[in-house]
Amino acid sequence: MDFSMLTATMASKSFEKIADICDNIMLQVAAEGIAYQDEWPYAIHLLGHIYVDDINSARFLWKSIPSSIKENQPEVSAAWKIGQRLWTRDYGGVHEAIRGFEWSQELQVLVAAFSELYTKKIFQLLQSAYSTISIQDAAFFLGMNGDDATNYVLQQGWAVDLASHMLTVKKQVIMSEQKLDPSKLQRLTEYVFHLEHR
Amino acid sequence: MDPMEALVAQIRGLSSCAGDLSRLQSILKQADDSLRFDSTRLSAVLSQLDPSKHSLGCLYILEASTAGPVSKEQADILVPVIARFINSSAAEHIRMAPDKFASVCKRLKDQVMLLNVPVRGVAPLLTAVRKLQTTTEHLTPLHPEFLLLCLLSKCYKAGLSILEDDVFEIDQPRDLFLYCYYGGMICIGQKRFKKALELLHNVVTAPMSTINAIAVEAYKKYILVSLIQHGQFSTNLPKYTSSVAQRNLKGFCQPYYELANIYSTGKIAELESYVETNREKFENDNNLGLVKQVVLSMYKQNIQRLTQTYLTLSLQDIANTVHLNSPKEAETHVLQMIQDGEIFATINQKDGMVRFLEDPEQHKSCEMIEHIDSSIQRIMALSRKLTAMDEQISCDQLYLSKAGRERHRYDFDDFDSVPQRFNI
Repeated sequence: MDFSMLTATMASKSFEKIADICDNIMLQVAAEGIAYQDEWPYAIHLLGHIYVDDINSARFLWKSIPSSIKENQPEVSAAWKIGQRLWTRDYGGVHEAIRGFEWSQELQVLVAAFSELYTKKIFQLLQSAYSTISIQDAAFFLGMNGDDATNYVLQQGWAVDLASHMLTVKKQVIMSEQKLDPSKLQRLTEYVFHLEHR
Repeated sequence: MDPMEALVAQIRGLSSCAGDLSRLQSILKQADDSLRFDSTRLSAVLSQLDPSKHSLGCLYILEASTAGPVSKEQADILVPVIARFINSSAAEHIRMAPDKFASVCKRLKDQVMLLNVPVRGVAPLLTAVRKLQTTTEHLTPLHPEFLLLCLLSKCYKAGLSILEDDVFEIDQPRDLFLYCYYGGMICIGQKRFKKALELLHNVVTAPMSTINAIAVEAYKKYILVSLIQHGQFSTNLPKYTSSVAQRNLKGFCQPYYELANIYSTGKIAELESYVETNREKFENDNNLGLVKQVVLSMYKQNIQRLTQTYLTLSLQDIANTVHLNSPKEAETHVLQMIQDGEIFATINQKDGMVRFLEDPEQHKSCEMIEHIDSSIQRIMALSRKLTAMDEQISCDQLYLSKAGRERHRYDFDDFDSVPQRFNI
C-alpha cells in the first residue's frame, strides 16, 4: 500500500484533502485484492471525514470496520467517539471526546486542527443563533471554563453582564461581494428582453 | 496449430487500426464457440496478450471463458484478472462490443458478491462506467451495478460521483429504474433528501406497462422522504405518470399512506404510536430507520410552522405547542434548525424568547447572480434537448402511423398538426 500521498498531505496540513485521498487509496487496494483492513489507518480516515464535516461518511466507514479492529485499536474508537458526538449533536461532548484520549503523535496535529476549527464554527453558530446567552452555556458549547469562554468572546466584541452571568452577542455584519461583473448583468438583461419580446 | 493459438496470433496482428479491428471482431464472433474453453487455461492465453493494446480480443476471450458458474476459489483468481482488464482496456475497443463488456463487468460484480467483499468491485466498476459511456449523459447498464456495490460496501460517497450527471440516454428501462432506486438510497444515506426525492420521483413516474417491485419500493421511500423534506406528501401523482402506477401504487403502500395521513395532523404522539403498532411492517421493508427520521422531522415541521405565524415566541410556548418536555429541549431544536439553515432566528436566553427573522438573502450578491445565471443556462440546455427530441419523435415512422391511425377517434381540433396518415 502506497501511503506517500497521505503522508505528504498530513505533513503539509491540507487536512481537508485527507478523506478523499483515503477513500481513493482504499478502493484501489481493495480492487487489487489486498487484505488492507489490519493495516488501514482508520483513525486518520475517520478524522478526515469528520474534519470536512462529512459525518455520514464517517459513520458508514465506522460501520464497515471489522469488530476485531474496533476492539483492539482504541484510537480508532476514540476517533469515532468524536464523530458520534457530532452525529448526536452533543456539542459539549465533542470537546470531551477530543480531550478524553491520549492521541498518538501522528494524530495530535490533526486532532488539534479539528478542535480549533470546531471551536470557531461553534462560536459562529452561537453568534448567529443567540442574542444573549449565559456564560455557563457558552462555556459548555466552546468547551472551555467560564473565564476562558468569557475572555474568548470579549475579544470578539461581545459584552458581559457579571451580575446576571449573561453574555450579549455582538452580531457580525457579513460583507458579501456585491460588485457585479457588467457582462453578467448584460446577460441577465438579454434573457429578460428575450422573454418579453417573444 | 492449435485454434486458440491461431486466434491469439490474429488478435495480436489485427488490433491497431479501426479497419483491422472490425475484421477482428467478425473473426471473434465466428470463433465464439471455440472460445468457450476451460477457464484454467485463461491466464496462459491472456498472458500472451496486452490488455491495453489487444482489448477487443481480450474482452471476447474473458467473456467466453467466464460464462459458466464459478466457485469461490475460482472467483478469487478471476476478480483481479477482470479488474486489471477493466483498468487497462482501451475505451474505443470495448465500445465495439458494449454487451460483452457489460456482461464481463456484471460477472465481476457477481463474483465479489459471492466472495462477500463488495468493496473490491467499487473502483473497477466506476472505471468501467466511465469507459463504456460515450458521454456523461449516457446511462449504461453498469450504473446500477456500481451503485449496488457502493451500497453493499457502505461506500456511499463513491456513489455520489455518478449521481451528479444528468441522464438523457438510456439503454434499458430497467437500468433507469434501478439506477434511480439505488441512487435514491445513496442520497438518503448521505442525507441529501432533495436529490433523493428527485431520483425516487423518477422511478415512480417513469413509463411502465406493468407495475414492478422497484417502483413499489421506491414509492414507499418517496412518501417517507417527501415527509422529511417537505413535511407533506401529495397523494396525487403528476399527470404524466403511467396509468398503471396511478392505479396500483397506492394499494401496495397502505401503511405509508396512513403514516402520511397522521403526519398531516401534526400530532406527534399519534404518529409515534402508529409507528410502534406497525413497526414490523416498516422493519420488513427495511424502512424503519427512515420512518424514525420522519417522526423526528415532525418537531422541525411544527417549529417551522410557528415561524410563519409569530415574530417572537417564548421557549416555553414553543415547547408547549410542539410537545417538547422543556424550554431547554425547545432551545436545542431551534438551535439545530438554525445550524442547518432551516430557520432564521435568534434565541434570547435572558428573556427565554426566540425571535424569528426573515431570510437575510437579498438576492443581489455576486454568488446569487452566478446561481441564477447557471440555473437559466441549465434550463435553456434542457429546453433545447426537448425541442430536439420533439422533432425527432414527430419524424418517427412508428409514432406517425399510430397517431394517424387513431386520429379519427379524437376531436379534429385537438390533433390539428397530425397528418391523416403517413406512409413512408
